[in-house]
Amino acid sequence: MPVQQADNNDNPLYVAHQKIYPRVASGRFARLRVLSILTLLGIYYVTPLLQWNDRQAILFDLPARKFYLFGLTLWPQDFIYLAALLILAGLSLFFFTALLGRVWCGYACPQTVWTEAYLWMERKIEGNRSKRMKLDKAPTSASKIRIKLLKHTIWITFSLWTGFTFVAYFTPINELANNLFTGNLGPWEMFWILFYSLATYGNAGFMREQVCMYMCPYARFQSAMFDSDTLIVAYHPERGDPRGSRRRGTDPKEVGLGDCIDCNLCVQVCPTGIDIRDGLQYECIACSACIDACDEIMDKMKYPRGLIDYTTENSARGEPQHILRPRILVYATILLVLCGLLLTHISQRIALDLDVIRDRNTLYRETRDGLIENVYTLKILNMDSSSHQYSLWADGIDGLKLVSDQPELIVEAGAVYETVVRLQADEFNMEERSVPVRFHLQAIEANHLTIVEEARFVGPGKK
Amino acid sequence: MEALTPDKIPRAQQVISILWPSFICAIVASGIFFSAFNPKELIPFNLDIDISPLAAYSIGFLLFWILAIVSSMGTLYFTISNCRVLRKQGN
Repeated sequence: MPVQQADNNDNPLYVAHQKIYPRVASGRFARLRVLSILTLLGIYYVTPLLQWNDRQAILFDLPARKFYLFGLTLWPQDFIYLAALLILAGLSLFFFTALLGRVWCGYACPQTVWTEAYLWMERKIEGNRSKRMKLDKAPTSASKIRIKLLKHTIWITFSLWTGFTFVAYFTPINELANNLFTGNLGPWEMFWILFYSLATYGNAGFMREQVCMYMCPYARFQSAMFDSDTLIVAYHPERGDPRGSRRRGTDPKEVGLGDCIDCNLCVQVCPTGIDIRDGLQYECIACSACIDACDEIMDKMKYPRGLIDYTTENSARGEPQHILRPRILVYATILLVLCGLLLTHISQRIALDLDVIRDRNTLYRETRDGLIENVYTLKILNMDSSSHQYSLWADGIDGLKLVSDQPELIVEAGAVYETVVRLQADEFNMEERSVPVRFHLQAIEANHLTIVEEARFVGPGKK
Repeated sequence: MEALTPDKIPRAQQVISILWPSFICAIVASGIFFSAFNPKELIPFNLDIDISPLAAYSIGFLLFWILAIVSSMGTLYFTISNCRVLRKQGN
């Protein structure tokens, strides 16, 4: 089998850490990666700046316990949507892993995205791979201190900006910036900015590939979603071996060598410091840097590209590939069904809630006209984005009357309105001592905003 | 080669293996807990505690984190001490 599992006898899991100096790779996959990383960083830093009808477009408003998502306002009782979103995210990860392998790790994981950003800064300040290695080995000198100081200052500044942006998802960014510059930042806002900055600085500046190797649960269980048709980054030993250096323009067959010239560039560009030629390894985040590096060498040697490339176990073995296979179809079906359910549910969500609480102090009382009267407290929650006037009525007993001191029921957008109403009925119309009644609440001029809530009406019982 | 046992994991990785899973658990726990309960309504006996929502959520999160840290520490402690006991018994 050409694509073999790496030998795991010498478990690298707990070895002392050696700093990795990835060489920069350039090529079509590197460009794709940069594009993906810039897009994702852009989304992260720009999102809190977006406005939507006089408020931040995406905001977890903790004091108000609301989550704004453009036109949609979610309340704590909509937590189910958030849970559904998380499940969807998990399922998509399954689906894309089965189909494309660890494409998430290589192109979209925040750990990768920020590590690449920090590596880019490091490269700009400290120079290329060999310069960085030389600098770290060099004895302490004024220029080394200056370079390191500059790097860390820039890293920390970027981290602080990242932390600030993170908190801006919870506190409106205008308010946060204003508080920051006037020195009125709350202690907890300060704490979270620093906490998130420190985490970014540590993860992207220092821990890097170790997060993937020691901390990432996905790296450990992703192999369970793999099959022989999953896209992987692999070296083709049947073409490359035996490896060895040779003069440019040599025909490898003449000297008894494979196509691999053993230049080690694939190892040098690897951000996790592995040798892809040893086979499929769990450390491989499928960033495809080795593909670009090898393709460049193959071009120089005038050999065909693809000694290291995206392949599947089946195609490497020369067997047919299957894109549509049971695993993919099952993941896709579940994903589509859940997506459909979520969207339908959200689109049919009624932005109105009614809570009916019967007065617990008195069961009932008799009015001067001889009617039985029950008192209820109603809590109306207008979850819509505009204020509404509502009409309220009740039924369940013949001749049931609803009496309210409030002539008009107007509830502002996103507000909870509490009002006390009385229901009056003739006891001769009551079948039992306790009868179910229904409160109907409907927005005037927005008839789809209607809700029915049940309550009980208590009387003295049939005489 | 001598078998690698949990007690030989470097200290830094032990610390991370405690802090990180508990951090994730704390996020999930606070998410569920605070969706169900408004911290404003949790202050008992009408005590006059003036606490900002962000502070309440933060303290809640940190408490969940500490709780999960203690649990993870227990797991790691028993794993490591069991390794030592088993080794002493000659397994």
